[in-house]
This record gives sequence, C-alpha cells and structure tokens, in this order.
Amino acid sequence: MKRLATIPALALLLAACDTAPAASFKDASLTLPDDPLDLPEGPGRDAVIENCTACHSPSTMLQQPKVSPEKWKSIIGKMKTLYKAPIDDAAVPAIVEYMVHVQSQPEPGA
Amino acid sequence: MTGTRLSRRALIAGAGTAALAAPTFAGMGAKLGGMIDLALPGGPSLRPTTPAFPGKGEMIVQRIRPPLLETPMAAFREGIITPNDRMFVRWNWQMPTEVKAADHRVAVGGAVTKAVSLTLDDIASAGETVSVIAVNQCAGNGRGLSQPRVTGTQWGNGAMGCAKWTGVRLKDVLAKAGVAAGARRVRFAGLDVPLTDGAPQFIKSIPLDIAMRDDVLVAWGMNDEPLSILHGFPLRIVVPGWFSTYWVKMLATIEVLSGEDDSYYVADSYRMPAQPITPDAKDFPTVPITTMPPRALITSHEDGDVVKLGKPLVLEGIAFGGDAALDRVDLVGKGWEIPCTLGPDEGGPYAFRRWQVTLPQVAGDFEGIGVRARNVNGAVQPADFAWNPSGYARNVIERITLRAQ
Repeated sequence: MKRLATIPALALLLAACDTAPAASFKDASLTLPDDPLDLPEGPGRDAVIENCTACHSPSTMLQQPKVSPEKWKSIIGKMKTLYKAPIDDAAVPAIVEYMVHVQSQPEPGA
Repeated sequence: MTGTRLSRRALIAGAGTAALAAPTFAGMGAKLGGMIDLALPGGPSLRPTTPAFPGKGEMIVQRIRPPLLETPMAAFREGIITPNDRMFVRWNWQMPTEVKAADHRVAVGGAVTKAVSLTLDDIASAGETVSVIAVNQCAGNGRGLSQPRVTGTQWGNGAMGCAKWTGVRLKDVLAKAGVAAGARRVRFAGLDVPLTDGAPQFIKSIPLDIAMRDDVLVAWGMNDEPLSILHGFPLRIVVPGWFSTYWVKMLATIEVLSGEDDSYYVADSYRMPAQPITPDAKDFPTVPITTMPPRALITSHEDGDVVKLGKPLVLEGIAFGGDAALDRVDLVGKGWEIPCTLGPDEGGPYAFRRWQVTLPQVAGDFEGIGVRARNVNGAVQPADFAWNPSGYARNVIERITLRAQ
C-alpha cells in the first residue's frame, strides 16, 4: 500500500536524464530596451515626468483603464504612503489632470 | 485563414503604425515590431509588441521597467510547452540586470537548526535533480478583461505558460539548514528590491506542508536551458498548481517562519474576497490567492472569425486543471454543450493539455461559445464572472462568436 501511494508523486517527476540542463552556472546579464511609448503632450506632463517615471515606464501608465480623478488621486496616495514614492504634494493635481487628459484622448490606432 | 485574421485583428506592421499615430505613438514605429489588440472592454486595448528583449521573441509590452511582457495567444496554438522566448515575464520590482554566478548566495535562515549561506553548487548538489512540467500563471492573468475594469497590469490571457522546470527539491535545500520544530511557513526573497526606502520588498511565503512537497523545486532550468535573467536567473521557486506570485525569482533568501506571515504581499496584497462581492462593496474579509482553478481557451479561432457555412468545423485549444489534473473539457453554447476530446497526457497533472472538438456541419453563427474545463477534484469553470477588485484568478468561461459565411 505504502509503495502504491508514492507512485503518483514519482510519475510527475521525471528523474534527471541527459536532457536536463547541467547545473553549471554562468554569469548572466541583460540590457533592457527603451520604452516603445512616449508620454504625449498634455497639461501636467512635466509633473508626471518628475514624479512618476522613475518607477513607471510610459507604457504601463498609458495602458490603464479610464478611472475617475478621485481614483487617480487615491492611486497617487497609495504610491506615497505604501511605496514611499517621493511625490511632491503640490504636483498631485497636475498629475491627476494629466492622467485624466491622456485618458480622454482617442486610442492611437483605434 | 491566419493571414486574414492578422490583418483584421489589428496586428499592424510596424511601418503601418506611423500613419495611424496619435501623439502617444509618435516616432515609435522604428522601435516596434507591431501592435496587437487585446480586446479589453472599453480600452485602451492596443498594445505594442516587440522582439527587443534579449532572449525573447515577439512579446506584448505591458511595461518596460520592471518588465511586464505578455505572451501572444498565437504562441499557444501548438503543443503543450511554451517556448522560453514566448513565456510571459513579470517583475514586481526592478531586478538586477547582471548576476555573477560565483558570487551568488542563498541564505537559509529563520526557524532552522543552523543558518547557512549556500553557493549555486551547494544548491545543485543538495539532492536529486528532478524536473516537473507545470503551468506558470500570474494571479492577475486576464485582469484587463474584468468588467467593471480594475487598475493594475492590464493583462489579456497571455500571462501564463507551461514549461519543464528542473532543479532540486526545496525540502532538500531546507535540509541543509534543518527545519526547526514549530516551523509554519517558508518565505522567499529575490534580488529584486524597491527603489525607495521603506517600500515593501516582494517576499512571499508558502505553508510548510507545501514547501515539503516532492514537486516543489528550487529550479535553475527552464525547458532544458538555464533560467535567463528575465525568468529569474540563477534560481527560482516552482510550486506546481499555485499561482506564480509564489514562484519567487532570483532566489536569494529562504526564511523559515514559526508564525504567520504578516509581510505586505501576503497579508495585504494578492488577496481575494472570501465570498463573492459586488463592485461597490467595502471592508470585506479576504483570503490569500494560492492554488489555481481550471481554465480552458480556444486557440484555433478568435472572436469574430469567419467559418464556412455547411462545412465541418474543428475547434482546438489548451486547458489545464489548476491544482489538480484536468478531467474534461466541454464546448458550451447557449443551452447546449458538447464534450471535447482531450489530447494525450504529455506533461502530467500540472501541465497544459490540448483538446479538440469537431462540429460536423456549420449551420449558422456560433454566438458566445466557449470551452469549460473541469479538474479531477470537481472544480469547474463558472459561467458567470466573479468580479474582484484586483482582478485575480480569472477563470470564467471565455466566450467568442464565430460568423458563418
């Protein structure tokens, strides 16, 4: 009985064979490409560049679903309180304005 | 059929993009492979694709830094293994872009008999080398399809893939330090760290009984190649059947916990409502995302494709059982369902498995058809979407419409 019980576990583990990679570790490195998207012109763009782009590449910012200005304000608040982002309080209205602006534009290519 | 689909489905050649460009996309034509439409409700739905990441083929760009790359659905049309150059990429924090193998150490500490610092050779010789074929799926896979939409990475359904993972058992690595009596969980940290002081590090833990499973690995191999930087060189955790948030990459620390894990990404994030909620709900109890539910997808056809009236129609795709083996797949429409034929079990209980069904004669449009997977534990994909505020663990039946002509 005991032997039988071990069979399912063994069946899904293929014992190492000649196709498995040898565990010899070589140094690895990587160069990340540039972001294919740029932030379009719009009110508050400078505030976004100064406060957001250190962590967020434009692609991820421009691909969010449309949400309310209040939601953007709360997201910026989360970045400050939880992720300790050094965001200038005075810049928050401009960041919100920019995000609402870019989301009001027609989708490129659509 | 493929050529027709590609042109119609907005897989626009890079050269053509410039003509359509609004300011956002100005000047990027040269940098891009193309554009792809993820069909996200309400948009924005178009995403650039690029082959520019080292070791990767054409991938959907969700973010450059830290990288978030989605697998185009076309990569799932054949076989059960997702090639390394098509596997999705997901980092929470920026990872180092260079790792020296000889300098890398994995610290094993916490509730252990003797804390140790292990070299890569120490890890590789910690026990028997084993492999497991398993689906690696982001907890947020399909988030962009949520209605109402939620913020976060706007994945289509390509934040998943199936690979052969090779390494040693985590329990053999833990044995090098000796798990102390009273241990409850095992927590992992990688080399990816926040840019800001005081932000939570991306660390994740699993219960001790899961950590001690025979198929939970400290892996260095992915489809018989060394892990690349993008996939977590030199080592990553593999937990078959669990969402990939637990498959910590660039493994640097293993910490045995004697109590619960109160760290942010376990206690506060990657959590689901304990019971179904409505989008206006506030202050509801939550549970952590852990195991994967079953899923099935049609890969032979996309929404809006045209099929030939009066002819037979063959539909094909992939499915997986989540945390248990796949049991069956059914094609479902409005008021009818047809069992699909499963392909051979090539990869074991945690792998993709192919399915196929032949409809003898197309008599008209197929409105809102989808495939529904069930696993051997009886878990089955729901017909109705269970909304949650972070868009986790999507496994509603994905439906498409085919037009007959």
